[in-house]
Amino acid sequence: MASTLRLYLTCIRNTLEAAMCLQNFPCQEVERHNKPEVELKTSPELLLNPVLICRNEAEKCLIETSINSLRISLKVKQADELENILAKKFLRFLSMRAEAFQVLRRKPVQGYDISFLITNYHCEELQKQKLIDFIVQFMEDIDKEISELKMSVSTRGRLVATEFLKQF
Amino acid sequence: MAEAEKSMGSDNVEDILTKIENKSLKIESLIKQYKPIEAIKTALEGYPPQDERCKFANWIVVRKALMAIKDVEGILRSLNPQYYDILMKYVYRGLSTGDRTTCDQCLKIHEKLTEKAGFGCILRSLADTVNTV
Repeated sequence: MASTLRLYLTCIRNTLEAAMCLQNFPCQEVERHNKPEVELKTSPELLLNPVLICRNEAEKCLIETSINSLRISLKVKQADELENILAKKFLRFLSMRAEAFQVLRRKPVQGYDISFLITNYHCEELQKQKLIDFIVQFMEDIDKEISELKMSVSTRGRLVATEFLKQF
Repeated sequence: MAEAEKSMGSDNVEDILTKIENKSLKIESLIKQYKPIEAIKTALEGYPPQDERCKFANWIVVRKALMAIKDVEGILRSLNPQYYDILMKYVYRGLSTGDRTTCDQCLKIHEKLTEKAGFGCILRSLADTVNTV
């Protein structure tokens, strides 16, 4: 179990290292505009093949690259209904504060739980290695956070139920 | 003229499908004889086809050969470097399927192949939009 996680994260790290080759590219259609090409997909020559890395049926990661931007979409493991709700709420909390993260996308791509958008400007200001470390660390921490949240919810539920039933 | 070309096109597809079937039989026999290296070499040979059905048929064949690999390091050592790029493309195709066993195997192969072939191999498989697999 742990070894597939390690292999999955190594694979994503290697793919990101190779795919994060971004440069400034002004918009071809409109003067003086500079748009992330991976979001608009106007010209096919500016896009690379999107790559889907699945760990199993539930977890996957879609990496789409273009000349000036890179989009990473993650689907997090959700074993049961409770984890489903917790993951949705937690990731929505993060997405709404996307300004603070800089590289986070406000809405996840259709079919995924959370998305990152990295542009050439991010690569100029921030270090590429650290960006990749951040994303891989994020993926590791998400799983831990959600299991912690689940445990705290069940503990609280148990405490509340014991207290409530004491009166009977 | 267009009709003649179309019939030529479909002939080619049938030809390619029969070639892929022959390849599949050869690979199955090689796997039974415990020769996974030859199986992989036969599977990766040949220009990747353009037609969707042929690509799918070819992928099934390559998947059989990939799943039979037990010793990844050994295979990569003995494989000709010219096959690294096409192997990487097939590994990514395997990773996109989502099937647990295929993904496990492909993740193992991806790690070792990246160590051997480097990031250039990954980038070539990303950048090649013409010869997709």
